[in-house]
Amino acid sequence: MDGKRRILIMAVVFGLVALLPIFFGGSKVIMHILIMCLIWSVVASCWDLIMGFAGIFSFGQVAFFVIGAYASAIFSLRLGVPPIISTFLAGAVAAAVGVLVALPCLRLKGAYVALVTFAVHMILAPFLKSNMGRAIGTGGAQGLLTIPPISLFGYTFQNAEPIPFFYLTLVVAVICSLIIILVIMSHWGTAFLTLKDSEDFARALGVSALRYKLMVFALTSFLTGMIGGFYGHYVGMLSTRMLGIDLFVTLMIMLVIGGVGQYPGAVLGAFFTVTINEMLAPVGSYRPLILGAMVLILVLALPDGVVGLIRSLFNLGGRGARAGGRMK
Amino acid sequence: MEVIDVIISGMINGSVYALMAVGLTLVYGVSKVFNFAYGSFYSLGGYLAFSILSFKIFGGYVTVLVLAVPALLLFGYVVERAIVAPLRRWSSWEVKVMMLTLGLALLMDNLFQITYGARVKSLPVIVEGSLTVGPVIVSWQDIAIFVLSVSGMFAFRWVLNNTWVGLAVQAVAQNPNGAQIVGIPRDKIFAATFAISTVMVGLGGILLSQKYFVSPNQGWDILVKAWVITAFGGMGSIRGSLYAAFIMGMLEAFVGWMFGLTWVQFALFGVLLATLAIRPQGLMGKWG
Repeated sequence: MDGKRRILIMAVVFGLVALLPIFFGGSKVIMHILIMCLIWSVVASCWDLIMGFAGIFSFGQVAFFVIGAYASAIFSLRLGVPPIISTFLAGAVAAAVGVLVALPCLRLKGAYVALVTFAVHMILAPFLKSNMGRAIGTGGAQGLLTIPPISLFGYTFQNAEPIPFFYLTLVVAVICSLIIILVIMSHWGTAFLTLKDSEDFARALGVSALRYKLMVFALTSFLTGMIGGFYGHYVGMLSTRMLGIDLFVTLMIMLVIGGVGQYPGAVLGAFFTVTINEMLAPVGSYRPLILGAMVLILVLALPDGVVGLIRSLFNLGGRGARAGGRMK
Repeated sequence: MEVIDVIISGMINGSVYALMAVGLTLVYGVSKVFNFAYGSFYSLGGYLAFSILSFKIFGGYVTVLVLAVPALLLFGYVVERAIVAPLRRWSSWEVKVMMLTLGLALLMDNLFQITYGARVKSLPVIVEGSLTVGPVIVSWQDIAIFVLSVSGMFAFRWVLNNTWVGLAVQAVAQNPNGAQIVGIPRDKIFAATFAISTVMVGLGGILLSQKYFVSPNQGWDILVKAWVITAFGGMGSIRGSLYAAFIMGMLEAFVGWMFGLTWVQFALFGVLLATLAIRPQGLMGKWG
């Protein structure tokens, strides 16, 4: 799939999404779901960029999201930084943590990276709840309430008024998607493809694996942390429950549906998954059970995601199809 | 004599961690499978023991072991053959296996929660009473846990060195393709390895659940601990995992005693980062 087709698909998707408030603007529930879809599409795209394209098995995506959300909330609550600036600061904090985590583990093989990043995820909740966390203002086990909403040019984006917030989120999501597409299309994308196919060969050509991987780690954790901060200002409260394994698996389902390394797929996967997840709300405690079963079925039945399935049905070519396809 | 109590506690936990970490490193070393559901298999062991004991049948823990070991063996074998093995023919199957086992873990944890409820369940002790040697008091339960996990390790060693399956596992670990050429059914050995590791972690669950109860979400802690021990000892090195498990058991006991239990997780994480920064192959691991 070349860059132009990716941009075209994204333009169509976001264009259609932009029109949705005309039909559903009256329903706060649907608008909320749409905002969530946009927010998670960014997180899922970042994960796809780091895992699908850069080939780094990072399992810390939710952790960076939560770090960003907490950082932005703490900046605005404790230091009085305007939320629109604190979200960027949150991105910087997440990127700094991302680089710190990446430095020891990027020299290692795949499974180790998964282990370290997942350990970051596992240790974050005890840290946020501990006295150390409380000292920097995480609110301990209770979490954070009364996070101020974002204001821009004197206008405050309240979550009671979903339509303006929806368009703000759409703008952010479009910018993030453009950045991701540009990265995939640039020489970074080519470098990653080479590194993933044969690291030794890429090195021989002078491609520095460590530098590219560090940069992609920094970029994706920046975007993830920023959108996390954005999320915090939207919902207005945060707790460590977000670090539960079901949210992690939900994010993973987005990627499984979209297909790993099939870029716009992750965005579609996010829309799909968030909607299904909201529809499952009435079954309550059975929801994680269903999510777990969904992972098993989807991974076994659709190893390349829905996008991969569609592509193989219509036999669309391109390098993406082969990258995720059957071996030998 | 609090220090001696801490050392004993570290030894006992370390012995069970050894059992679980060796199972994990075995699977990774042989088949490169990164099993995210390992912690849920631990809970499965605990719940199996709880269910069997709730019938108040003859024999107590002897019956538990007689019934649970074949059940875990079968469970592990079926899981590998049914859902892990089909992924092997796809490219980047390692990450797909990670995703799949994460889903399996969520599914199992919630099945436990629905079947047994969210509240913790306690298991009866294997033996009552305690042994007093001078100023030191050790409960017979702790001794039983230690003896059982160490004999589990010896049993594992015996299987690995003296049975056809064990030798085949070693052959596949050394060279999967070569093993296949000489007629070893590689895929079945992958499944057998997975089954053996399921038994090891399930046994760990049965043994440790007497001390720490059984609850649906406890497995994640065990998963991270077992992985940290494996990384510290060297991925794929059984001897390394063995030493690392006892070192980490001690570390955990001492950190918990001196600074409180919250710090144990931070200490484990610190050890992990330090290991990977200074000696990425772990204590006794080698790359590959």
